[in-house]
Amino acid sequence: MKKIKVYVNELFKDIPESEQKNAVMQEVTQNLEEKVLDLMEQGKEEEDAINKAIVDFGDIDDLKKELGVKSALPKPKKNMTKLNLGYSIWGSALIIGLFVFINFYYSPDIIWFVYPTFAVLWWPLTMYFRWLRTKENAK
Amino acid sequence: MIRSDIIRGHLDSIILRLISEKDRYGYEISKEISTRTNNRFHIKEATLYAVFQRLEKKELIESYYGDISKGGKRKYYQITTLGKAYLKEIAEEWKETKEIIDLFMEGI
Repeated sequence: MKKIKVYVNELFKDIPESEQKNAVMQEVTQNLEEKVLDLMEQGKEEEDAINKAIVDFGDIDDLKKELGVKSALPKPKKNMTKLNLGYSIWGSALIIGLFVFINFYYSPDIIWFVYPTFAVLWWPLTMYFRWLRTKENAK
Repeated sequence: MIRSDIIRGHLDSIILRLISEKDRYGYEISKEISTRTNNRFHIKEATLYAVFQRLEKKELIESYYGDISKGGKRKYYQITTLGKAYLKEIAEEWKETKEIIDLFMEGI
C-alpha cells in the first residue's frame, strides 16, 4: 500500500498546500486502498491490483481546476503600445529638434531639416498605427 | 467503451442521483456506476473527485467521515435540500433534451 501513498503524493505535488488538498488526498488514498483490497478479494495479486487502481484513476486536470490551480498558460503580454507611442513621439521630437537647431545654427541659408524630419516621422507613425490596432482588438 | 464526451456533461447529475438514493462514498459510487451500466461506462476516479468538489462548493452535497473500515476512514456524501431541488430540475431538463434529440435521431 505504500505505492498508493507515493502515487497520490506524486499526483498532488503541483497543488499548493491547503486543508482542502489534504482532505482530498486522504479521501483519494482511502478509496484507492479500498479498491485495491477489493480487487485482491476478486483474486488479483497485490501488485496487479495496485497497478490497475492507478491506471483506472486517470488524469487529475479537472480536479486541479476545482482545487484552484491556475492553469499553466502564460500571462497575456502587457500592452506596451501606448508606452511605445509616447517614447517614439518624444524621441522623434528630440531628433527633429536637433536637426532644426543644426540647420539654423550652421547653415541658415539652406532649409534642409525637412528631409531628415520625414525620415524620422516613420517611427511615431508606425507606433501610432500599432497602438490603434491594439485598441481596436481590445474592443 | 462508449465515447464519453456526451456523458461527461451529465456526470454531475449521475453522481447527484446516486448520492440522493443514500449516503455514499467515492469508491462505492464508481463501482455502482460500472455495475449499473453493466461495465459499459466507467468513471475515472480523478473525475469523480472533481465532481465532488464542484457539488460541494455549490452546496448540493455535504460530506462527513464514517467509521473506520478497510483502508481507513471513509468520506461519505449526502445530498442537501438544495441538491434535491436541483436534481429534480435537471431531471426535467434532461427529459426535455432527450425528446428534442430523439426528434432527430430516431428512425434512422
